[in-house]
Amino acid sequence: MNMTTPIEKRDFKIVGKSVRRDDVLEKVTGEAQYTGDVKLTGTLHGKIKRAAIAHARIKSIDVSRALAYPGVKAVLTHENVPRVLHYGSPHPRSASCTKDQYILDDKVRFWGEGVAAVAAISEEIADEALDLIEVEYEPLPAVIEPEDAAQPGAPLIHDVGPGGNLVLDPVRVNRGDVEAGFALADFVLEGTFSGGRPHPAYMEPNVCIADWDGSNKLTFWTSTQSSFMVRGILAEVLGLPLTKVRVLVDHMGGGFGAKQDCFQHEFLCALLAKETRRPVKMEFTRHETFVAGRSRHPCKIWLKQGFKNDGTLVARDMKLVYDSGAYGSHGPGVTIVGTTAATSLYRCENVRLEGRCVYTNTPINGAFRGYGVVQSYYALDIQMDEAAERLGMDPAELKLKNVVRAGDIAPSGHPILGHGLEICIQHGVEKIGWKALRERDRTPDPKHPHIRKGWGIGCEMHGSSAYPGIKEQGNATVKVNEDGTVTLLTGAAGLGTGAHTALAQIVAEELGVRFEDVGTVHGDTDVVPWDIGAFASHTTYLVGTAAKMAAGKVRAAVLERAAMKLQVSPGEIDLSEGKVFVVAETDRCMTVAEAMGPSRGIPAANIVANGTYEPTKSYSFAAHFTEVDVDTETGIVEVKRVVPVHDIGRVIHPIAAQGQIEGGIQQGIGHTLTEDYVIDKKTGRSLNAGLVDYKMPLSMDMPDIETVILEAAPDPGGPWGAKGVGEDPIIAIGPSIANAIYDAIGVRFHHYPITPEDILKALREKDA
Amino acid sequence: MKRIVELTINGEPRDMAVETCRSLLDALRDDVGLTGTKKGCDVGDCGACTVLVDGEPVNACLMLAVEAEGRSVETIEGLQPGVDTLHPLQDAFMRHGASQCGFCTPGILMMAKKLLDDNPRPTDEDIRFGLSGNICRCTGYTKIFDAIKSAAREMEAARS
Repeated sequence: MNMTTPIEKRDFKIVGKSVRRDDVLEKVTGEAQYTGDVKLTGTLHGKIKRAAIAHARIKSIDVSRALAYPGVKAVLTHENVPRVLHYGSPHPRSASCTKDQYILDDKVRFWGEGVAAVAAISEEIADEALDLIEVEYEPLPAVIEPEDAAQPGAPLIHDVGPGGNLVLDPVRVNRGDVEAGFALADFVLEGTFSGGRPHPAYMEPNVCIADWDGSNKLTFWTSTQSSFMVRGILAEVLGLPLTKVRVLVDHMGGGFGAKQDCFQHEFLCALLAKETRRPVKMEFTRHETFVAGRSRHPCKIWLKQGFKNDGTLVARDMKLVYDSGAYGSHGPGVTIVGTTAATSLYRCENVRLEGRCVYTNTPINGAFRGYGVVQSYYALDIQMDEAAERLGMDPAELKLKNVVRAGDIAPSGHPILGHGLEICIQHGVEKIGWKALRERDRTPDPKHPHIRKGWGIGCEMHGSSAYPGIKEQGNATVKVNEDGTVTLLTGAAGLGTGAHTALAQIVAEELGVRFEDVGTVHGDTDVVPWDIGAFASHTTYLVGTAAKMAAGKVRAAVLERAAMKLQVSPGEIDLSEGKVFVVAETDRCMTVAEAMGPSRGIPAANIVANGTYEPTKSYSFAAHFTEVDVDTETGIVEVKRVVPVHDIGRVIHPIAAQGQIEGGIQQGIGHTLTEDYVIDKKTGRSLNAGLVDYKMPLSMDMPDIETVILEAAPDPGGPWGAKGVGEDPIIAIGPSIANAIYDAIGVRFHHYPITPEDILKALREKDA
Repeated sequence: MKRIVELTINGEPRDMAVETCRSLLDALRDDVGLTGTKKGCDVGDCGACTVLVDGEPVNACLMLAVEAEGRSVETIEGLQPGVDTLHPLQDAFMRHGASQCGFCTPGILMMAKKLLDDNPRPTDEDIRFGLSGNICRCTGYTKIFDAIKSAAREMEAARS
């Protein structure tokens, strides 16, 4: 174990600066082309008929009236599409997924599942044709709640998988001896926790366009975080070689994890286009993004931990049940990641964890920022506060005492290298004056006697990469052009995080050229190197390192060529800001363009290099300090101020990193207080599939956020020590709010969202 | 049935032949080809399609194209004062990181323009209230607030 792997230090010219992002000029002028803006002549509009029943067998389906409807060009049902069992979210190189989907099946597994698809000359005609399709169902008993689905004898939703409505075999983790640990405990805390079904609600509804050419090649525009995964699955299911499927995605209107499935509508769009030999566009309504999109897995958790009177944690026993919805999608990954995460955060030698994931007759849950860990750390962090209360200790002190340290074994099974959680907690405690806040006068402000103020801390850690569940690989290609400019080819998706800019910064820094001289090509699977997809907070860490490697290789090649021209050895020269110069004699120099060009006896250069990186994992850390006002008359909780303190290693682009943190906090406030995609417990029907009834925090609801980024603990696995940031903020904010509510009104909540009704009911019970 | 609608878009007189049931949003995006205005919900909930009609902010998905007859419509494509110059808001949005995925950005910029046209020195509360009909899911709004305040200062300085 090498704990001291050196991280290269240098005076950065481009890394660490908030350069102008390469995508924003287009975005502020309206020129940025999103998938829905692509226009092809003769495009037909595709629409999907969705089942209004949660569990049923299709007895018959009559499309004759729809087919005869003027303007309708094709109708697809389970009777005329290829029947290929496939993955919903085939993380390449992951063994945990189950093939459990057909493009269309003779069975319905959730209310809103597609049962037929129509292509027509206008959206209106396609919509009208859907009503002409007659489906006769044989209803089956539906299981909406995971507890019911897991009961022996419950109706089975799938024939595949381990049975008993399990998506995968239970995930079990055992470290040390839990019984022996509890025997050492001075006291034990036990509680149940639960999380709702937050929905990512990215602003751009899912959309795709399919177009087949005369050589039977499919060109497919789609708003996806994982274009190579979409290519792979489409090719597999449609029986095509990869040369015959080209996936394109330029700008994306957000995804937050949920746009990394290959969706039913994507297959149907491709097949409708094939059938009609015309381009077909399929665009979700906002309602469909809820019903046929992906949400976070609802989760029920039982957590029991033993503590010594000095605050030492001696045993942790935890059971988690994740609700996958009607298909596996990311259920296996979420269950593995969310369960194994609970080995860590707070050190404990004796740990026993069991994570289950069950099918229910509800819309599919998938990947969403925080991937299973939002749920498990909500429980861990709140119970830690309860232990502090029991001990009469400051929760900040108890957390500091127990947080993981450098060298501890991480959930991935590796020793943690760059570790900054202690520093994050200490920094936040100082910054907000935590100790004074703990000892403050708690008398309510006489002007607002019904308002109670509270402060809470939430801590988290999150891996940058999905290792070991997925053997990851990052790729980049860097070319030096004859004028000295540089082209970076990357398969990384542009969700809106600024990832392409960060990659270009890394290339410019490593190579020694100006940021403006690096152009980026992305979003075309026929052109760019293979990419695993944008997830697991890993693009800068994973693809960034690959880009740095490729840039290092082309730099060496440029130096070699320049040395030949300058008639010195490559060791005597350096390259900076696009100029090669002799170190000892800096006016002996040439531009990269001059180095590239032909000269007597030396042909023009073709300098191209690939970087491939197969990392393990680094961890980022955060502590959020959150102030709330609880209105004891209305039950409304207002988040007033958040001080998020993050350790993300080396920061490549400060403003983009802050943006990730602040946006994650917005979503996390929503999850904790107002957001829950509600499914009717009897019928399985969606009750709030729209942006008014699904209430997110907007401009009036946002607190003051004072983001602090500490480059506390760079990890040698990332470029100059950079680690991920995308998922961390959404994990830490939840428990910080729940703990702050306790501080304000003395009531513990173990679930989210914590609604005004919950607050008022709890206050009434407390007073009674 | 189609009707000819005569209107002004971004200062230029235009006419478009549209179905009477067509929304202004679909007409702008599909018939006129101005795809900068985004469709986030098509039911007036998200504000991504905010345009200015006779200077007033409108969810273009909730207005019929035929209702725009004789009126002046401003979209994101018309926000730039000239080909090579940006509106101070556009410049500030880039500098402050106010645009992440960018899908809400055109609507928010049009709403912010209206806000600053009416109220050149907005308070924080004015800005929050002014944007309350525009959903941004990426930024937490912090950098959008910063950008609007910064643009307001620059516009004020340019006037004085």
